[in-house]
Amino acid sequence: MCIYEDQIGKFDWRQTYVGRIKFAQFDTVSTAKRIIVATEENVLAALNLKTGQVVWRHVFESASSGNIQLLHVGEKITTVTGSNPYLVRGWDSASGVLMWEWTLALQNDQQAVYSEWWVQNNKLVHLLPVIGSHLEVTMYNLLTGSNRGATSKLPAVWNNDGCVLTAPYYTCVSGNMGSQILLSLDVTSNVIQIISKPLSNFINLKESIGGNLRPLDNSVVPGFIVDDKKVLLIKENSFEAVGKELVDEMASATVIDGGNEQVLLQTWQDDEKGFQLTAYSISTNSEVTEIQCSDPTMSIPEAEFLAVMCSRKAKEQYACRLLVNAADDALHLMQQGGRSLWTREEALANVVTAEFVDLPVSDTEAAIESEFDQKEGSVWSAFSRRLHTQYTQLQNLIRNLQGQSAPEDSTNALVRDYFNLHKIMVLITEAGKKLHALVLLDEDETVQVFPISAAPLVENLYMYVAEKETGKVQGYALKYNGVSVEAQRTWSVQLGGPGPAQIVAVATRSRLERVRSPGRALADRSVLYKYSNPNLVLFVVEKPDPTHKEVVTAVVLDAVTGALLGASSHRRARALPLAVHADNCFAYLYRSEKHRRLEIATLELYEGQERWLEPDVAFSSFASDRAPAVERQAYILPATAAAAAFTITERSLADRHVLLGLTTGAVIEIPWAYLEARRGLTGGDEALLPYTPELPLPSEASLNYNRTVERVRGVLTAPAGLESTSLVLVTGLDLFYTRVAPSKTFDLLKDDFDYYLITIVLGALIVATYSTKYFASRKMLKLAWK
Amino acid sequence: MKYFYLLFMCLLKNSVCLDYDGWLNIKLEHNINCKNENFCSRGNISLKSIKAGSAVIDQISFTKSHIDELKEHADIDGLYSIRSLVTSADSKETEFLSSVKAKLFLENRLSDVISAWILPNGDVIAITFQVNSYSSHNHSLQYDQAEYPLHSNFYIRHVDQAPVPDTASYIQKLEREREAREKGDLKDNRSFLAKYWMYIVPIAIFVMISGVTNPEPAPQASR
Repeated sequence: MCIYEDQIGKFDWRQTYVGRIKFAQFDTVSTAKRIIVATEENVLAALNLKTGQVVWRHVFESASSGNIQLLHVGEKITTVTGSNPYLVRGWDSASGVLMWEWTLALQNDQQAVYSEWWVQNNKLVHLLPVIGSHLEVTMYNLLTGSNRGATSKLPAVWNNDGCVLTAPYYTCVSGNMGSQILLSLDVTSNVIQIISKPLSNFINLKESIGGNLRPLDNSVVPGFIVDDKKVLLIKENSFEAVGKELVDEMASATVIDGGNEQVLLQTWQDDEKGFQLTAYSISTNSEVTEIQCSDPTMSIPEAEFLAVMCSRKAKEQYACRLLVNAADDALHLMQQGGRSLWTREEALANVVTAEFVDLPVSDTEAAIESEFDQKEGSVWSAFSRRLHTQYTQLQNLIRNLQGQSAPEDSTNALVRDYFNLHKIMVLITEAGKKLHALVLLDEDETVQVFPISAAPLVENLYMYVAEKETGKVQGYALKYNGVSVEAQRTWSVQLGGPGPAQIVAVATRSRLERVRSPGRALADRSVLYKYSNPNLVLFVVEKPDPTHKEVVTAVVLDAVTGALLGASSHRRARALPLAVHADNCFAYLYRSEKHRRLEIATLELYEGQERWLEPDVAFSSFASDRAPAVERQAYILPATAAAAAFTITERSLADRHVLLGLTTGAVIEIPWAYLEARRGLTGGDEALLPYTPELPLPSEASLNYNRTVERVRGVLTAPAGLESTSLVLVTGLDLFYTRVAPSKTFDLLKDDFDYYLITIVLGALIVATYSTKYFASRKMLKLAWK
Repeated sequence: MKYFYLLFMCLLKNSVCLDYDGWLNIKLEHNINCKNENFCSRGNISLKSIKAGSAVIDQISFTKSHIDELKEHADIDGLYSIRSLVTSADSKETEFLSSVKAKLFLENRLSDVISAWILPNGDVIAITFQVNSYSSHNHSLQYDQAEYPLHSNFYIRHVDQAPVPDTASYIQKLEREREAREKGDLKDNRSFLAKYWMYIVPIAIFVMISGVTNPEPAPQASR
């Protein structure tokens, strides 16, 4: 797999994502308009304000050491990442370059998870509340990390777990039921000054439980919501109630600075009225209608303000930018009046699984197909049908020539192309809903079929259930008894033995996979027949061992009968959830603890030189009792893989390659010839490569050249209509799509095929033929006159 | 009445890699002719030593009622299930289940292949039953006797150690190749003809061709 520079982006695309947004701020300092975001996926990124595209991006560790605790956008971007010890880093907002970095380790490790961080006056403030006792406040120099002095301990016995921080105020509800007091404390001021008011001043304690605090989302003024109803702001060391209550309990609220007045914004999703956005001016006690929006067509579930920026131009015209986060991980940027400027579907950073779906064929092709499907009927009816279709085709042609495209063409723009290369991808993300399975087996071994009318179709259906934590695998035979579908337990094995064990990987064959040939030709012109059982499943089991630490066992079994066909065990190894299976080939990865490296083991099952079954006899798992020969081999993989898949082509005529998604962000393509289990050191077979223990990973084998896919999670393949081509989708934080040709594009003209040259040459030849004919006749004529 | 069937398996190659030895007992139960229970006893397989692999199989013979129930199962294309309970020196009872098609079992004169898959540490991971299809042509088998012995073959299948990437012998191979190449450079003890035949052959052909065409002008010269 190698492409030329001008082919970049021709067959492939990459979409970059950042994950569900945790913190966001508008970069108002630099001239380039940007939004700086920090996400749940531990990504720090700058988004273009106009288009929403990623300008720069840093992907931190996916473990807790990469968790982003604080994002502050000032002149430089400040982040606090990790969980004790913390890393405080400064970034240049224009380029994303790291400017400074220092570490911070807290003494009190257990309490550290309750830490709160914010930046104030170029100081990093760390607040550690100790419930029922005191607050610990420490300030650090933002650039150097030098401590101003000791940690100040503010006594606060009223501190409880329902307190909220609206920097720099720390607010709690304390006291007995019915006589609660609202307490607030500016933790950064030199003088301890507690604002305290009875809660009954603001809300009717008889109507509500009282005391549930929720901070305003990214508000410019410190404020909070009491009991999902009353909005309180802290101004000049006193509480100030906003004249308008929360419209909806679930609403997200924030206060913005719109020129010379403060505006309370609220947004929520109404079941009937759809997306709702209200604005209320606190100083004038009036609604700001130009910001407000009520759109029944729009749906933003559990909308939440991430960042809001409003400016006021002349004549009281507001210009707002609202960044809204939704429960489906989508990120919306809206302007005043609720008009959406762009949307980022960040749920695609968490794709669980994907399916390629064929597009429907176009009407004309469907007509041709239906014509050839009708086998019955006399020659005359077939002839009349042929005439009829040709007549309609002619009609279409005339209509097209007249410039009137058929009206139905515009309605279904999504039709299958000639090579079936364009497909619809259905992606299932973590945040979304999952599709229903057709047949479900309950825990108490009853079967449910969706829809129920499909129940009589259940015949010769076998299922297996693997208990991941124990290594127990059980098989069931499903049968329709005239009324309902019954499951009978038919086999049961204990893949880890009686002790504890864990099934780490399971590989089944793709339902799109086909078997091309029953065997392979050897150098001595004999045939080695493959054991092509369509019901094979590979299980990779890890099991603790008293002498060899961990033992990894790979078991190939027939899912219908439960018969084991091959197994091998690796001592001192850890299993990885990476296993693939196609036809008679199996491959799985494990980490060798003894050699401290990643290895890939391959298995191939063969019947031998003689065929067990006659060529046309259908295979039955129950009728076979012979054990296939198992060829095994292991190779060193000089990289760390995160995903694996086989390429699939329409009829499996093309070679089979293994695609590995590496942690470096590359997706590499390894021909099966390199992984073949029959590769031996002596090289007896000319068709096989001599054994090399380490797999070569040349940079040309990388499918995604310099387009790194961060945090590869899965590689999915599907066949295209062209035999040579297999479609590949790589999921992870990013999505990458391309197509591969394992046996080169033998059924396609080259990309740079010179159509003009061949047309000119053909034309010139025709001209030359006729002109020589003419000259020849003239010469004959002249000769005749002589 | 008991039927004793003794079978010695000697898999010398596999028994070497086993780093554990001990006894093994497999209690066999099946799902036919069981009156009230789901499973009832069919027999017992016991091994004194897993390494040696010699097993004593002790099974019941099928009676008319067994055959009748098997036939009932066969009529609806049903399954004949065997449950095996394995006990060994250092583990408690482990249950395994396996099934064969009742029809195939009847057609093949009640013969089956029992395989016990054993990990290198002596743990049993599966007991599987498969119908021995050596006599699959014999469809017209009549069941008209009083008792029918079961023909069971028992095999121990060891889960082998997987090969590890063989770096040592690969490096040796490279060394050997390098040495061979170095030796080849020093002295080529092939004969002169073997070394330069590719130059000699074209010259010889050229000479031969010119030799064939030359004689013609010769008579002209003599004229």
